[in-house]
Amino acid sequence: MTASPSFYAASSLPAALDALAECGAEGAPLAGGTWIMRAPIRHEPLKPIYVGLGGVPELTRIEETDGALAIGAGVTHSALGEAIAGRPELRVLAEAAGRSANPAIRRAATLGGNLCTADFAAADLVPALLCLDAEVEIAARGGTERLPLAAFLDLRQSLEPGRLLTRVLVPRSAAFSAHARLPLRKAGDYPTAIVSLSITRDAAGRIAQARIAVGSVETVARRWTRLEAALAGAPLDAEAAHHMATELADEFVGRDGVEAPGWYRVSVLPVLVRRAVIALH
Amino acid sequence: MPIDMIVNGEAKQSAADPMTPLVDVLRDEFHLTGAKPVCREGFCGACTVLVDGEPRAACLTPAGLAQGREIGTVEGLSAGGRLNPVQASLVEHDAVQCGMCFPGMVVTLTHFLAQTPRPSRDQVRAALTGNACRCTGYERIVAAALDVAGA
Ligand SMILES: Cc1cc2nc3c(=O)[nH]c(=O)nc-3n(C[C@H](O)[C@H](O)[C@H](O)COP(=O)(O)OP(=O)(O)OC[C@H]3O[C@@H](n4cnc5c(N)ncnc54)[C@H](O)[C@@H]3O)c2cc1C
Ligand code: FES
Ligand code: FES
Repeated sequence: MTASPSFYAASSLPAALDALAECGAEGAPLAGGTWIMRAPIRHEPLKPIYVGLGGVPELTRIEETDGALAIGAGVTHSALGEAIAGRPELRVLAEAAGRSANPAIRRAATLGGNLCTADFAAADLVPALLCLDAEVEIAARGGTERLPLAAFLDLRQSLEPGRLLTRVLVPRSAAFSAHARLPLRKAGDYPTAIVSLSITRDAAGRIAQARIAVGSVETVARRWTRLEAALAGAPLDAEAAHHMATELADEFVGRDGVEAPGWYRVSVLPVLVRRAVIALH
Repeated sequence: MPIDMIVNGEAKQSAADPMTPLVDVLRDEFHLTGAKPVCREGFCGACTVLVDGEPRAACLTPAGLAQGREIGTVEGLSAGGRLNPVQASLVEHDAVQCGMCFPGMVVTLTHFLAQTPRPSRDQVRAALTGNACRCTGYERIVAAALDVAGA
């Protein structure tokens, strides 16, 4: 007989870390539950124990700290979208958080859950935060470490039990940003491809630095560094950016999925780049 | 450990496993069959209920997360057996066909119109991205919502 899964609602960060350390590989955190609760549909087993993070106040804070915005991992998509609305440098993140999924899901789904789901290629917050050069803070009973988001994406599959993503740090900048995503229907389903863009301009209005991240095309989102280099010093022009993206898109190997084949995901990238640049104006 | 929650204003206790979807507790234990598990993956909205006043997908809400919370279902929205304005408008616009989606539509729209008393057509449509209707094609539902708002 398999015991039915149990649930422990942690009321503080130390309590959550203790509980996770004690459960070891038997346990996992549960934030909004919007991914975990679909395990039966994906024919995946549930863990024997879940440590509920909903009652951990440390995880739901959003604060300005030393040169960065620190966002708690338990902040929901809807709370995040509302908290940062109206800031051009963070617009990419506000749109990723405020337009993904549907309103009821956005009220439950958290930033931490979006970043920690290793087998979820279409996560909107991942490319948005990559183009913002975000870092993540990982806590365990023994202490806390900070690492770039890209490094975390590489190791999250093998994250040791007992670790918790506690905060995401977004460095302050004077950039302009935009998020372009392509769901097959107008809204409500996963994006087939995502382009997140953050740009600073020089005195002449040309692109000083471009940071571009691509999500949902390959299994893990990543920066498009060749396009970033090509755009540096160029005028901010949607057609030119579209053209450069077309030339460079062959470096992506799209993943095949039920909603779209891999080649299609790659083929829409230049259009998404153009839309993102237009959205900057 | 039993799970305590307030459902439509009444204190209730569930003996379910805390990872049981809330929609199953509401239907199977409390016999509130308005919310429906249709897709069980957060897309269709037929299971929408209020958790502390805000619409959530009850299929993806573990019962354990309802501990100490106020849950509102469509049954709680028609006080004294009278239709609320959203329900009445949906009837008037002849928007209800098979009815599968409606408990969720009513919960979502009642909350949305309370938050956004004078919505645009686009705002209504955006509010309904998580409520799928296979029958009416939405036009009548959107019209009914705009009518309630007097827009
Ligand atoms: C209908 C629907 C549509 C969706 N559409 C989109 C979309 O368009 N774009 C998009 O980006 N996403 C979309 N999603 C996915 C959704 O964003 C994720 O399910 C959500 O972000 C996961 O967050 P959660 O808090 O619910 O995670 P949970 O389900 O609670 O957890 C997910 C995973 O992360 C782990 N975890 C959670 N928090 C932490 C933490 N702090 N530290 C370490 N591990 C942690 C859990 O152990 C689990 O493995 C959609 C989901 C649904 C149901
Ligand atoms: S059953 Fe919950 S959203 Fe479809
Ligand atoms: S009336 Fe049938 S699904 Fe909406």
